[in-house]
Amino acid sequence: MADDRAAKILAAIGGPDNIIEIEPCITRLRCELEDGSKVDEAALKAAGAHGVLRAGSVVQVIVGPEADTIASDIEDLL
Amino acid sequence: MTLTVLSPVSGEVVPLSEVPDPVFAQAMVGPGIAVQPERTAGDAVSPVDGTVVTLHPHAFVVATESGAAVLVHLGIDTVKLKGEGFTLHVVKGETVRAGQPVIGWNPAEIEQGGRSPICPVIALDASAESLVDVHEPGPVKAGEALLTWQR
Repeated sequence: MADDRAAKILAAIGGPDNIIEIEPCITRLRCELEDGSKVDEAALKAAGAHGVLRAGSVVQVIVGPEADTIASDIEDLL
Repeated sequence: MTLTVLSPVSGEVVPLSEVPDPVFAQAMVGPGIAVQPERTAGDAVSPVDGTVVTLHPHAFVVATESGAAVLVHLGIDTVKLKGEGFTLHVVKGETVRAGQPVIGWNPAEIEQGGRSPICPVIALDASAESLVDVHEPGPVKAGEALLTWQR
């Protein structure tokens, strides 16, 4: 499940080219993006995100306690 | 079955809604309660018997044998401290007892650094109704019961 989810989340935040940095923090992915407007909140929620917090180019995707695993799965896809 | 969740720190029990972070305040990862810690150096203890499944310098998750996972977060935005000021007493994957010291820290230093040292204690993926006997707002000691999680 996690592998699929990482790919879906990556696509929903604009794909590899849009990522400056992804940092996991227990329950969330702190994503620093080139372009915050490329984030597809509906797709993130469909991928299992509990919530999305946006502040310009920094987007926090709330994924629950598997954030560390998902972040490393996403790193593997970059 | 029911699971008693202990307070990881000594301080004042406050509602989760007082935590200055929307993820916790809006219970996005689960319901719970928060403790405004005493401003003295000390250890945050495990809230339950279980395994340390996630361990950061500023936060940890302990999962019980039956799969109930409790998150303790030491302060808000403390991930940015990169571990400075936190001392880990356990390693990830270690079995811990409720009340066992997990992380040493100093809430006063966190506050001096301009961050809130408040400690959300979250029953991950629980329903709000499953938490009962929740400690009333007021003083609590580390290791005292904070709430009961009905599972």
